[in-house]
Amino acid sequence: MIGATLFALFTVLMLAGVPIAAALGVGGMVAIALANPDTQWFGLLAAPQNMEAGVSKYPLLALPMFVLVGSIFDRAGVAQRMVNFALACVGRSPGMLPLVAIAVAMVLGGISGSGPANAAAVGAVMIAAMSRAGYPAPFSASIVGAAAATDILIPPSIAFIVYSVNVPGASVPALFAAGVFPGLLAGLALMVPAVWLSRRRGYGGRERDLPRPPFWHSLREASWGLVAPVLILGGMRAGWFTPTEAAVVAVAYGLFVGLAVHRTICWRDLYGIFREAAEVSAVIMTVMALAGIFAYSVNTLGMADPLVQAVQAAGLNSTGALAALLVIGLIVGMFLDGVSIFLIFLPLLYPLMMVYRWDPVWFGVLLTMVVAIGQFTPPMAVNLLVACRLAGVRIEQTLPHVGWLVLGFVAAALLVAAFPLLALWLPSSMGF
Amino acid sequence: MKRRGVPIDFEEGLAVTCLALLVAITLLNVVTRYLTAQSFAWTEEISIFLMVVMTLAGAGAAAARDRHIRIEFFYEGGSAKRRRTLRIVACCVTGMLFAALALLSARMVADELRWGETTMGLGVPRWWYTIAIPLLSAAVAARCLALAWRTARTEPGA
Repeated sequence: MIGATLFALFTVLMLAGVPIAAALGVGGMVAIALANPDTQWFGLLAAPQNMEAGVSKYPLLALPMFVLVGSIFDRAGVAQRMVNFALACVGRSPGMLPLVAIAVAMVLGGISGSGPANAAAVGAVMIAAMSRAGYPAPFSASIVGAAAATDILIPPSIAFIVYSVNVPGASVPALFAAGVFPGLLAGLALMVPAVWLSRRRGYGGRERDLPRPPFWHSLREASWGLVAPVLILGGMRAGWFTPTEAAVVAVAYGLFVGLAVHRTICWRDLYGIFREAAEVSAVIMTVMALAGIFAYSVNTLGMADPLVQAVQAAGLNSTGALAALLVIGLIVGMFLDGVSIFLIFLPLLYPLMMVYRWDPVWFGVLLTMVVAIGQFTPPMAVNLLVACRLAGVRIEQTLPHVGWLVLGFVAAALLVAAFPLLALWLPSSMGF
Repeated sequence: MKRRGVPIDFEEGLAVTCLALLVAITLLNVVTRYLTAQSFAWTEEISIFLMVVMTLAGAGAAAARDRHIRIEFFYEGGSAKRRRTLRIVACCVTGMLFAALALLSARMVADELRWGETTMGLGVPRWWYTIAIPLLSAAVAARCLALAWRTARTEPGA
Protein backbone atom coordinates (compact mmCIF):
# COMPACT_ATOMS: atom_id res chain seq x y z
CA MET A 1 0.00 0.00 0.00
CA ILE A 2 2.72 2.44 0.99
CA GLY A 3 4.71 1.21 -1.98
CA ALA A 4 1.85 2.00 -4.33
CA THR A 5 1.51 5.46 -2.76
CA LEU A 6 5.20 6.08 -3.22
CA PHE A 7 5.17 5.20 -6.91
CA ALA A 8 1.86 6.93 -7.64
CA LEU A 9 2.98 10.17 -6.00
CA PHE A 10 6.36 9.97 -7.65
CA THR A 11 4.87 9.35 -11.12
CA VAL A 12 2.33 12.17 -10.87
CA LEU A 13 4.96 14.66 -9.70
CA MET A 14 7.35 13.62 -12.44
CA LEU A 15 4.76 13.89 -15.21
CA ALA A 16 3.76 17.34 -13.94
CA GLY A 17 7.30 18.50 -14.63
CA VAL A 18 8.59 18.61 -11.06
CA PRO A 19 12.36 18.03 -11.25
CA ILE A 20 13.12 14.29 -11.11
CA ALA A 21 15.37 14.83 -8.11
CA ALA A 22 12.57 16.52 -6.16
CA ALA A 23 10.01 13.88 -7.20
CA LEU A 24 12.34 11.15 -5.89
CA GLY A 25 12.92 13.02 -2.63
CA VAL A 26 9.28 13.80 -1.96
CA GLY A 27 8.13 10.27 -2.86
CA GLY A 28 10.78 8.73 -0.63
CA MET A 29 10.11 11.01 2.33
CA VAL A 30 6.33 10.59 2.21
CA ALA A 31 6.76 6.80 2.13
CA ILE A 32 9.15 6.90 5.10
CA ALA A 33 6.74 9.09 7.09
CA LEU A 34 3.76 6.83 6.32
CA ALA A 35 5.70 3.75 7.42
CA ASN A 36 6.87 5.23 10.74
CA PRO A 37 3.87 7.03 12.24
CA ASP A 38 5.05 6.46 15.81
CA THR A 39 8.75 7.14 15.48
CA GLN A 40 10.38 10.40 16.46
CA TRP A 41 10.00 12.89 13.57
CA PHE A 42 8.34 10.07 11.57
CA GLY A 43 11.72 8.45 10.96
CA LEU A 44 12.60 11.30 8.61
CA LEU A 45 15.97 11.91 10.24
CA ALA A 46 17.14 9.14 7.92
CA ALA A 47 16.41 11.43 4.94
CA PRO A 48 19.35 13.86 5.22
CA GLN A 49 21.69 11.01 6.09
CA ASN A 50 20.74 9.12 2.95
CA MET A 51 20.86 12.28 0.88
CA GLU A 52 24.43 12.84 2.02
CA ALA A 53 25.29 9.16 1.55
CA GLY A 54 23.91 9.30 -2.01
CA VAL A 55 26.80 11.49 -3.14
CA SER A 56 29.41 10.76 -0.46
CA LYS A 57 31.04 8.00 -2.45
CA TYR A 58 34.63 8.40 -3.46
CA PRO A 59 34.33 6.54 -6.82
CA LEU A 60 31.63 9.06 -7.77
CA LEU A 61 34.36 11.69 -8.04
CA ALA A 62 34.94 10.31 -11.55
CA LEU A 63 31.58 11.79 -12.59
CA PRO A 64 32.31 15.54 -12.27
CA MET A 65 35.79 14.89 -13.65
CA PHE A 66 34.52 13.24 -16.83
CA VAL A 67 31.83 15.89 -17.22
CA LEU A 68 34.61 18.48 -17.08
CA VAL A 69 36.66 16.51 -19.63
CA GLY A 70 33.61 16.63 -21.92
CA SER A 71 33.19 20.41 -21.58
CA ILE A 72 36.89 21.03 -22.19
CA PHE A 73 37.10 18.87 -25.31
CA ASP A 74 33.84 20.42 -26.51
CA ARG A 75 35.65 23.76 -26.77
CA ALA A 76 39.11 22.48 -27.66
CA GLY A 77 38.20 22.24 -31.33
CA VAL A 78 39.09 18.57 -31.66
CA ALA A 79 35.82 17.58 -33.39
CA GLN A 80 36.49 19.62 -36.55
CA ARG A 81 40.00 18.24 -36.86
CA MET A 82 38.81 14.67 -36.45
CA VAL A 83 36.20 15.22 -39.16
CA ASN A 84 38.88 16.47 -41.56
CA PHE A 85 41.05 13.48 -40.84
CA ALA A 86 38.16 11.05 -41.29
CA LEU A 87 37.28 12.69 -44.63
CA ALA A 88 40.88 12.29 -45.70
CA CYS A 89 40.50 8.58 -45.02
CA VAL A 90 37.13 7.80 -46.59
CA GLY A 91 36.56 10.56 -49.14
CA ARG A 92 33.36 12.37 -49.99
CA SER A 93 31.21 9.95 -51.96
CA PRO A 94 27.53 9.71 -50.90
CA GLY A 95 27.10 8.14 -47.49
CA MET A 96 30.61 8.91 -46.29
CA LEU A 97 29.79 12.07 -44.35
CA PRO A 98 27.21 10.28 -42.14
CA LEU A 99 29.78 7.54 -41.65
CA VAL A 100 32.30 10.16 -40.53
CA ALA A 101 29.76 11.74 -38.18
CA ILE A 102 29.15 8.40 -36.48
CA ALA A 103 32.85 7.56 -36.25
CA VAL A 104 33.71 10.96 -34.77
CA ALA A 105 30.85 10.69 -32.26
CA MET A 106 32.28 7.33 -31.20
CA VAL A 107 35.81 8.69 -30.75
CA LEU A 108 34.46 11.67 -28.82
CA GLY A 109 32.44 9.15 -26.82
CA GLY A 110 35.82 7.77 -25.79
CA ILE A 111 36.64 11.16 -24.28
CA SER A 112 33.44 12.56 -22.83
CA GLY A 113 30.86 10.65 -20.90
CA SER A 114 27.49 12.14 -21.72
CA GLY A 115 25.31 11.81 -24.81
CA PRO A 116 23.74 15.28 -25.12
CA ALA A 117 27.18 16.97 -24.83
CA ASN A 118 28.46 14.68 -27.57
CA ALA A 119 25.44 15.46 -29.79
CA ALA A 120 26.18 19.16 -29.34
CA ALA A 121 29.88 18.81 -30.18
CA VAL A 122 29.39 16.60 -33.25
CA GLY A 123 26.25 18.41 -34.38
CA ALA A 124 27.96 21.80 -34.28
CA VAL A 125 30.51 20.58 -36.83
CA MET A 126 28.64 17.99 -38.87
CA ILE A 127 25.17 19.36 -39.43
CA ALA A 128 26.33 22.37 -41.43
CA ALA A 129 28.86 20.24 -43.33
CA MET A 130 26.20 17.66 -44.19
CA SER A 131 23.77 20.27 -45.39
CA ARG A 132 26.46 21.79 -47.69
CA ALA A 133 26.99 18.35 -49.16
CA GLY A 134 23.28 17.96 -49.86
CA TYR A 135 21.98 15.84 -47.00
CA PRO A 136 18.51 16.91 -45.78
CA ALA A 137 18.65 18.51 -42.33
CA PRO A 138 16.26 16.02 -40.64
CA PHE A 139 18.46 13.16 -41.86
CA SER A 140 21.60 14.84 -40.48
CA ALA A 141 19.88 15.45 -37.14
CA SER A 142 18.86 11.78 -36.94
CA ILE A 143 22.41 10.63 -37.66
CA VAL A 144 23.97 12.95 -35.08
CA GLY A 145 21.34 12.13 -32.42
CA ALA A 146 21.75 8.39 -32.91
CA ALA A 147 25.54 8.49 -33.13
CA ALA A 148 25.79 10.45 -29.87
CA ALA A 149 23.78 7.69 -28.16
CA THR A 150 26.78 5.36 -28.45
CA ASP A 151 28.50 7.70 -25.98
CA ILE A 152 26.99 6.15 -22.86
CA LEU A 153 28.25 2.72 -23.97
CA ILE A 154 31.75 3.66 -25.02
CA PRO A 155 33.98 4.24 -22.02
CA PRO A 156 34.32 6.57 -20.19
CA SER A 157 30.60 6.63 -19.52
CA ILE A 158 28.78 8.58 -16.83
CA ALA A 159 25.95 6.05 -16.92
CA PHE A 160 28.38 3.22 -16.10
CA ILE A 161 29.85 5.18 -13.19
CA VAL A 162 26.38 5.70 -11.74
CA TYR A 163 25.49 2.03 -12.32
CA SER A 164 28.68 0.91 -10.63
CA VAL A 165 28.23 2.95 -7.44
CA ASN A 166 24.71 1.51 -7.12
CA VAL A 167 25.31 -2.15 -7.98
CA PRO A 168 27.69 -4.24 -5.89
CA GLY A 169 29.83 -6.52 -8.02
CA ALA A 170 30.08 -4.27 -11.07
CA SER A 171 33.28 -2.24 -10.86
CA VAL A 172 33.86 0.83 -13.03
CA PRO A 173 36.83 -0.66 -14.94
CA ALA A 174 34.90 -3.89 -15.61
CA LEU A 175 31.90 -1.96 -16.95
CA PHE A 176 34.10 0.31 -19.02
CA ALA A 177 35.83 -2.69 -20.60
CA ALA A 178 32.51 -4.46 -21.13
CA GLY A 179 31.13 -1.46 -23.00
CA VAL A 180 33.87 -1.38 -25.64
CA PHE A 181 32.68 -4.09 -28.05
CA PRO A 182 28.94 -3.42 -27.65
CA GLY A 183 29.72 0.26 -28.28
CA LEU A 184 31.67 -0.51 -31.45
CA LEU A 185 28.96 -2.93 -32.53
CA ALA A 186 26.29 -0.28 -32.00
CA GLY A 187 28.29 2.24 -34.03
CA LEU A 188 28.63 -0.28 -36.85
CA ALA A 189 24.93 -1.04 -36.62
CA LEU A 190 24.25 2.67 -37.21
CA MET A 191 26.75 3.04 -40.05
CA VAL A 192 25.15 0.33 -42.17
CA PRO A 193 21.68 1.93 -42.42
CA ALA A 194 23.23 5.42 -42.64
CA VAL A 195 25.27 4.58 -45.73
CA TRP A 196 22.50 2.45 -47.22
CA LEU A 197 19.89 5.22 -46.80
CA SER A 198 22.11 7.91 -48.33
CA ARG A 199 22.98 5.76 -51.35
CA ARG A 200 19.42 4.60 -51.90
CA ARG A 201 17.90 8.05 -51.57
CA GLY A 202 20.72 9.82 -53.36
CA TYR A 203 21.76 12.10 -50.51
CA GLY A 204 25.02 13.96 -50.33
CA GLY A 205 26.35 13.84 -53.87
CA ARG A 206 26.95 17.57 -54.12
CA GLU A 207 30.54 17.72 -52.89
CA ARG A 208 31.62 14.41 -54.37
CA ASP A 209 34.32 15.99 -56.51
CA LEU A 210 35.86 18.29 -53.91
CA PRO A 211 39.42 17.26 -53.07
CA ARG A 212 40.05 15.22 -49.96
CA PRO A 213 41.89 16.99 -47.14
CA PRO A 214 45.60 16.10 -47.27
CA PHE A 215 46.11 12.91 -45.29
CA TRP A 216 49.29 13.53 -43.30
CA HIS A 217 48.49 17.13 -42.47
CA SER A 218 45.00 16.28 -41.18
CA LEU A 219 46.37 13.30 -39.27
CA ARG A 220 48.85 15.57 -37.51
CA GLU A 221 46.13 18.10 -36.72
CA ALA A 222 43.75 15.42 -35.43
CA SER A 223 46.35 13.45 -33.50
CA TRP A 224 46.09 15.57 -30.33
CA GLY A 225 42.42 14.70 -30.01
CA LEU A 226 42.83 11.10 -31.15
CA VAL A 227 45.42 10.46 -28.44
CA ALA A 228 42.94 11.41 -25.67
CA PRO A 229 40.85 8.20 -25.65
CA VAL A 230 44.05 6.17 -25.91
CA LEU A 231 45.43 8.01 -22.89
CA ILE A 232 42.21 7.58 -20.87
CA LEU A 233 41.48 3.95 -21.71
CA GLY A 234 45.06 2.83 -22.09
CA GLY A 235 46.03 4.47 -18.82
CA MET A 236 43.28 2.61 -16.99
CA ARG A 237 44.09 -0.63 -18.81
CA ALA A 238 47.76 -0.41 -17.96
CA GLY A 239 46.87 0.18 -14.33
CA TRP A 240 48.45 3.64 -14.30
CA PHE A 241 45.28 5.34 -13.19
CA THR A 242 41.99 4.69 -11.48
CA PRO A 243 39.02 5.99 -13.51
CA THR A 244 39.02 9.20 -11.45
CA GLU A 245 42.71 9.77 -11.99
CA ALA A 246 42.39 9.03 -15.71
CA ALA A 247 39.72 11.71 -15.85
CA VAL A 248 41.84 14.29 -14.09
CA VAL A 249 44.80 13.51 -16.33
CA ALA A 250 42.47 13.98 -19.30
CA VAL A 251 41.39 17.35 -17.83
CA ALA A 252 45.01 18.47 -17.71
CA TYR A 253 45.68 17.12 -21.19
CA GLY A 254 42.55 18.74 -22.67
CA LEU A 255 43.44 22.10 -21.12
CA PHE A 256 46.95 21.82 -22.51
CA VAL A 257 45.65 21.01 -26.01
CA GLY A 258 43.02 23.76 -25.91
CA LEU A 259 45.20 26.46 -24.35
CA ALA A 260 48.58 25.74 -25.88
CA VAL A 261 48.23 23.56 -28.97
CA HIS A 262 45.02 24.46 -30.82
CA ARG A 263 44.68 27.77 -28.96
CA THR A 264 40.91 27.44 -29.13
CA ILE A 265 40.49 28.12 -25.40
CA CYS A 266 41.83 31.25 -23.73
CA TRP A 267 42.33 31.72 -20.01
CA ARG A 268 39.19 33.83 -19.74
CA ASP A 269 37.05 30.91 -21.02
CA LEU A 270 38.12 28.70 -18.13
CA TYR A 271 35.57 30.05 -15.68
CA GLY A 272 32.76 29.40 -18.14
CA ILE A 273 33.96 25.85 -18.82
CA PHE A 274 34.23 25.05 -15.12
CA ARG A 275 30.86 26.66 -14.44
CA GLU A 276 29.15 24.58 -17.11
CA ALA A 277 30.78 21.37 -15.84
CA ALA A 278 29.99 22.19 -12.20
CA GLU A 279 26.35 22.87 -12.97
CA VAL A 280 25.87 19.81 -15.19
CA SER A 281 27.52 17.59 -12.55
CA ALA A 282 25.54 19.18 -9.75
CA VAL A 283 22.26 18.61 -11.57
CA ILE A 284 23.09 14.90 -12.04
CA MET A 285 24.39 14.55 -8.49
CA THR A 286 21.31 16.22 -7.04
CA VAL A 287 19.28 13.43 -8.62
CA MET A 288 21.71 10.92 -7.07
CA ALA A 289 21.51 12.54 -3.62
CA LEU A 290 17.73 12.55 -3.50
CA ALA A 291 17.57 9.12 -5.14
CA GLY A 292 19.44 8.02 -2.01
CA ILE A 293 16.31 8.81 0.02
CA PHE A 294 14.15 7.02 -2.56
CA ALA A 295 16.36 3.93 -2.56
CA TYR A 296 16.38 3.87 1.25
CA SER A 297 12.60 3.85 1.38
CA VAL A 298 12.36 1.19 -1.35
CA ASN A 299 14.84 -1.01 0.53
CA THR A 300 13.68 -0.57 4.11
CA LEU A 301 10.01 -0.93 3.22
CA GLY A 302 10.82 -4.08 1.24
CA MET A 303 9.08 -2.80 -1.85
CA ALA A 304 11.12 -4.85 -4.27
CA ASP A 305 9.84 -8.14 -2.79
CA PRO A 306 6.29 -7.96 -4.21
CA LEU A 307 7.75 -7.15 -7.60
CA VAL A 308 10.12 -10.12 -7.49
CA GLN A 309 7.26 -12.35 -6.37
CA ALA A 310 4.98 -11.03 -9.10
CA VAL A 311 7.58 -11.65 -11.79
CA GLN A 312 8.15 -15.18 -10.51
CA ALA A 313 4.43 -15.84 -10.13
CA ALA A 314 3.95 -14.80 -13.75
CA GLY A 315 6.05 -17.87 -14.54
CA LEU A 316 8.57 -15.98 -16.64
CA ASN A 317 11.84 -17.74 -17.20
CA SER A 318 15.10 -15.85 -17.27
CA THR A 319 14.85 -14.97 -20.96
CA GLY A 320 11.23 -13.84 -20.73
CA ALA A 321 11.91 -11.66 -17.71
CA LEU A 322 14.96 -10.15 -19.37
CA ALA A 323 13.03 -9.40 -22.56
CA ALA A 324 10.21 -7.77 -20.59
CA LEU A 325 12.66 -5.62 -18.60
CA LEU A 326 14.52 -4.51 -21.70
CA VAL A 327 11.30 -3.51 -23.46
CA ILE A 328 10.31 -1.51 -20.37
CA GLY A 329 13.78 0.04 -20.30
CA LEU A 330 13.44 1.03 -23.94
CA ILE A 331 10.08 2.73 -23.35
CA VAL A 332 11.22 4.51 -20.21
CA GLY A 333 14.40 5.56 -22.02
CA MET A 334 12.27 7.54 -24.45
CA PHE A 335 11.16 9.79 -21.60
CA LEU A 336 14.04 9.90 -19.15
CA ASP A 337 17.81 10.22 -19.28
CA GLY A 338 19.96 7.18 -18.54
CA VAL A 339 21.26 8.26 -15.14
CA SER A 340 17.76 8.95 -13.78
CA ILE A 341 16.54 5.58 -15.07
CA PHE A 342 19.33 3.75 -13.29
CA LEU A 343 18.69 5.59 -10.04
CA ILE A 344 14.94 4.98 -10.10
CA PHE A 345 14.94 1.36 -11.20
CA LEU A 346 18.13 -0.18 -9.84
CA PRO A 347 16.78 -0.63 -6.29
CA LEU A 348 13.97 -2.68 -7.86
CA LEU A 349 16.07 -4.45 -10.48
CA TYR A 350 18.93 -5.54 -8.24
CA PRO A 351 16.86 -8.22 -6.40
CA LEU A 352 15.65 -9.52 -9.78
CA MET A 353 19.23 -9.71 -10.98
CA MET A 354 20.03 -11.85 -7.93
CA VAL A 355 17.04 -14.15 -8.48
CA TYR A 356 17.88 -14.87 -12.11
CA ARG A 357 21.63 -14.83 -11.49
CA TRP A 358 22.29 -12.39 -14.29
CA ASP A 359 25.82 -11.15 -14.50
CA PRO A 360 25.63 -7.57 -13.15
CA VAL A 361 28.18 -6.28 -15.67
CA TRP A 362 26.43 -7.85 -18.64
CA PHE A 363 23.03 -6.71 -17.43
CA GLY A 364 24.40 -3.18 -16.95
CA VAL A 365 25.65 -3.11 -20.54
CA LEU A 366 22.34 -4.41 -21.90
CA LEU A 367 20.29 -1.98 -19.86
CA THR A 368 22.54 0.85 -21.01
CA MET A 369 22.06 -0.23 -24.63
CA VAL A 370 18.27 -0.12 -24.49
CA VAL A 371 18.41 3.16 -22.60
CA ALA A 372 20.72 4.50 -25.32
CA ILE A 373 18.13 3.56 -27.95
CA GLY A 374 15.54 5.52 -26.01
CA GLN A 375 17.80 8.57 -26.11
CA PHE A 376 17.23 9.00 -29.86
CA THR A 377 13.76 7.51 -30.33
CA PRO A 378 11.09 10.20 -30.88
CA PRO A 379 9.14 11.92 -29.44
CA MET A 380 11.07 12.68 -26.25
CA ALA A 381 14.65 11.73 -27.03
CA VAL A 382 17.24 13.96 -25.32
CA ASN A 383 20.07 13.44 -27.84
CA LEU A 384 17.79 13.82 -30.83
CA LEU A 385 16.35 17.01 -29.34
CA VAL A 386 19.81 18.56 -29.12
CA ALA A 387 20.59 17.57 -32.71
CA CYS A 388 17.23 18.85 -33.97
CA ARG A 389 17.76 22.17 -32.23
CA LEU A 390 21.15 22.54 -33.95
CA ALA A 391 19.71 21.53 -37.34
CA GLY A 392 16.66 23.77 -36.95
CA VAL A 393 14.16 20.97 -37.61
CA ARG A 394 11.20 19.65 -35.67
CA ILE A 395 11.54 16.23 -34.10
CA GLU A 396 8.61 14.82 -36.16
CA GLN A 397 10.56 15.49 -39.37
CA THR A 398 13.18 12.92 -38.38
CA LEU A 399 10.62 10.09 -38.41
CA PRO A 400 11.32 8.84 -41.96
CA HIS A 401 15.01 8.42 -41.13
CA VAL A 402 15.45 7.62 -37.49
CA GLY A 403 13.44 4.38 -37.53
CA TRP A 404 16.14 2.58 -39.55
CA LEU A 405 18.79 3.70 -37.09
CA VAL A 406 16.68 2.48 -34.17
CA LEU A 407 16.36 -0.90 -35.91
CA GLY A 408 20.11 -1.11 -36.35
CA PHE A 409 20.77 -0.32 -32.69
CA VAL A 410 18.10 -2.83 -31.56
CA ALA A 411 19.82 -5.51 -33.63
CA ALA A 412 23.11 -4.72 -31.86
CA ALA A 413 21.41 -4.95 -28.45
CA LEU A 414 19.84 -8.32 -29.39
CA LEU A 415 23.26 -9.64 -30.36
CA VAL A 416 24.71 -8.66 -26.97
CA ALA A 417 21.69 -10.22 -25.24
CA ALA A 418 22.12 -13.46 -27.18
CA PHE A 419 25.92 -13.60 -26.87
CA PRO A 420 26.93 -12.26 -23.44
CA LEU A 421 30.57 -12.87 -24.33
CA LEU A 422 30.45 -9.83 -26.62
CA ALA A 423 30.34 -7.75 -23.47
CA LEU A 424 32.07 -10.02 -20.98
CA TRP A 425 35.05 -11.31 -22.94
CA LEU A 426 37.13 -8.14 -22.68
CA PRO A 427 36.72 -7.52 -18.92
CA SER A 428 37.38 -11.18 -18.11
CA SER A 429 40.43 -11.36 -20.34
CA MET A 430 41.72 -8.17 -18.72
CA GLY A 431 41.20 -9.69 -15.31
CA PHE A 432 38.61 -7.29 -13.88
CA MET B 1 13.99 41.34 -16.74
CA LYS B 2 15.56 43.16 -13.84
CA ARG B 3 16.91 40.84 -11.20
CA ARG B 4 16.92 41.76 -7.57
CA GLY B 5 18.16 39.96 -4.49
CA VAL B 6 21.27 37.81 -4.06
CA PRO B 7 23.07 37.33 -7.41
CA ILE B 8 23.33 33.77 -8.59
CA ASP B 9 27.11 34.22 -8.86
CA PHE B 10 27.40 33.27 -5.22
CA GLU B 11 26.28 29.65 -5.59
CA GLU B 12 27.93 29.41 -8.98
CA GLY B 13 31.26 30.65 -7.70
CA LEU B 14 31.09 28.22 -4.79
CA ALA B 15 30.38 25.28 -7.11
CA VAL B 16 33.19 26.32 -9.48
CA THR B 17 35.62 26.69 -6.57
CA CYS B 18 34.74 23.20 -5.33
CA LEU B 19 35.23 21.69 -8.79
CA ALA B 20 38.57 23.48 -9.25
CA LEU B 21 39.75 22.27 -5.83
CA LEU B 22 38.65 18.72 -6.65
CA VAL B 23 40.70 18.80 -9.85
CA ALA B 24 43.71 20.24 -8.02
CA ILE B 25 43.58 17.73 -5.18
CA THR B 26 43.13 14.73 -7.46
CA LEU B 27 45.87 15.88 -9.82
CA LEU B 28 48.22 16.50 -6.92
CA ASN B 29 47.48 13.00 -5.66
CA VAL B 30 48.39 11.44 -9.01
CA VAL B 31 51.62 13.42 -9.23
CA THR B 32 52.76 12.74 -5.67
CA ARG B 33 51.89 9.07 -5.97
CA TYR B 34 54.20 8.77 -8.96
CA LEU B 35 56.99 10.85 -7.51
CA THR B 36 57.00 9.56 -3.96
CA ALA B 37 55.01 6.30 -4.12
CA GLN B 38 52.79 7.71 -1.39
CA SER B 39 49.26 8.98 -1.52
CA PHE B 40 47.32 11.28 0.71
CA ALA B 41 44.52 9.03 1.91
CA TRP B 42 43.27 11.86 4.09
CA THR B 43 42.29 13.95 1.08
CA GLU B 44 39.46 11.49 0.37
CA GLU B 45 37.37 12.99 3.16
CA ILE B 46 37.90 16.52 1.87
CA SER B 47 37.10 15.52 -1.71
CA ILE B 48 33.83 13.97 -0.59
CA PHE B 49 32.97 17.11 1.36
CA LEU B 50 33.71 19.24 -1.72
CA MET B 51 31.47 17.03 -3.85
CA VAL B 52 28.58 17.48 -1.40
CA VAL B 53 29.07 21.26 -1.36
CA MET B 54 29.37 21.41 -5.15
CA THR B 55 26.18 19.37 -5.54
CA LEU B 56 24.09 21.56 -3.26
CA ALA B 57 25.55 24.87 -4.46
CA GLY B 58 25.05 23.82 -8.08
CA ALA B 59 21.55 22.63 -7.24
CA GLY B 60 20.76 26.16 -6.05
CA ALA B 61 22.14 27.76 -9.21
CA ALA B 62 20.26 25.26 -11.39
CA ALA B 63 17.06 25.86 -9.42
CA ALA B 64 17.30 29.63 -9.95
CA ARG B 65 17.67 28.99 -13.69
CA ASP B 66 15.03 26.23 -13.71
CA ARG B 67 17.50 23.81 -15.28
CA HIS B 68 17.01 20.63 -13.23
CA ILE B 69 16.36 17.40 -15.16
CA ARG B 70 12.65 16.87 -15.64
CA ILE B 71 10.13 15.32 -18.01
CA GLU B 72 9.27 18.26 -20.26
CA PHE B 73 6.40 16.68 -22.14
CA PHE B 74 3.60 18.41 -20.22
CA TYR B 75 5.79 21.07 -18.61
CA GLU B 76 6.84 22.69 -21.88
CA GLY B 77 3.61 22.00 -23.77
CA GLY B 78 0.07 23.30 -23.60
CA SER B 79 -1.18 26.80 -22.95
CA ALA B 80 0.90 29.54 -21.39
CA LYS B 81 -1.40 29.43 -18.39
CA ARG B 82 -0.74 25.73 -17.82
CA ARG B 83 2.99 26.19 -18.20
CA ARG B 84 2.90 28.97 -15.62
CA THR B 85 0.87 26.86 -13.18
CA LEU B 86 3.13 23.84 -13.57
CA ARG B 87 6.19 25.98 -13.07
CA ILE B 88 4.83 27.42 -9.84
CA VAL B 89 3.89 23.92 -8.64
CA ALA B 90 7.32 22.52 -9.50
CA CYS B 91 9.12 25.37 -7.74
CA CYS B 92 6.95 25.09 -4.63
CA VAL B 93 7.35 21.30 -4.37
CA THR B 94 11.13 21.54 -4.78
CA GLY B 95 11.33 24.50 -2.40
CA MET B 96 9.33 22.77 0.32
CA LEU B 97 11.37 19.58 -0.06
CA PHE B 98 14.65 21.44 0.42
CA ALA B 99 13.19 23.47 3.30
CA ALA B 100 12.26 20.18 5.00
CA LEU B 101 15.71 18.78 4.28
CA ALA B 102 17.32 21.91 5.72
CA LEU B 103 15.35 21.46 8.93
CA LEU B 104 16.06 17.72 9.18
CA SER B 105 19.74 18.10 8.41
CA ALA B 106 20.03 20.91 10.97
CA ARG B 107 18.74 18.40 13.48
CA MET B 108 21.29 15.87 12.23
CA VAL B 109 24.10 18.39 12.70
CA ALA B 110 22.82 19.24 16.17
CA ASP B 111 23.00 15.54 17.09
CA GLU B 112 26.54 15.26 15.75
CA LEU B 113 27.51 18.29 17.77
CA ARG B 114 25.95 16.88 20.92
CA TRP B 115 27.56 13.45 20.62
CA GLY B 116 30.89 14.93 19.58
CA GLU B 117 31.16 12.75 16.48
CA THR B 118 34.47 12.91 14.67
CA THR B 119 35.41 11.87 11.15
CA MET B 120 37.13 8.61 10.24
CA GLY B 121 40.02 10.08 8.29
CA LEU B 122 41.15 13.28 9.93
CA GLY B 123 39.42 12.91 13.28
CA VAL B 124 37.96 16.40 13.13
CA PRO B 125 34.43 17.10 14.37
CA ARG B 126 31.94 15.86 11.80
CA TRP B 127 29.81 18.98 12.02
CA TRP B 128 32.58 21.02 10.44
CA TYR B 129 31.57 19.34 7.21
CA THR B 130 27.88 18.65 7.68
CA ILE B 131 26.99 22.20 8.74
CA ALA B 132 27.12 23.04 5.01
CA ILE B 133 24.14 20.77 4.29
CA PRO B 134 21.38 22.67 6.17
CA LEU B 135 22.76 26.05 5.07
CA LEU B 136 22.96 25.17 1.39
CA SER B 137 19.64 23.27 1.44
CA ALA B 138 17.99 26.38 2.84
CA ALA B 139 19.60 28.38 0.03
CA VAL B 140 18.18 25.99 -2.59
CA ALA B 141 14.75 26.29 -0.97
CA ALA B 142 15.02 30.09 -1.06
CA ARG B 143 15.97 30.03 -4.76
CA CYS B 144 12.99 27.82 -5.63
CA LEU B 145 10.48 29.83 -3.64
CA ALA B 146 11.84 33.08 -5.09
CA LEU B 147 11.37 31.74 -8.61
CA ALA B 148 7.85 30.60 -7.74
CA TRP B 149 7.11 34.08 -6.38
CA ARG B 150 8.50 35.82 -9.46
CA THR B 151 6.55 33.50 -11.77
CA ALA B 152 3.35 34.01 -9.81
CA ARG B 153 3.66 37.79 -10.09
CA THR B 154 4.00 37.78 -13.87
CA GLU B 155 0.81 37.81 -15.88
CA PRO B 156 -0.04 34.49 -17.57
CA GLY B 157 1.28 34.57 -21.10
CA ALA B 158 3.61 37.48 -20.38
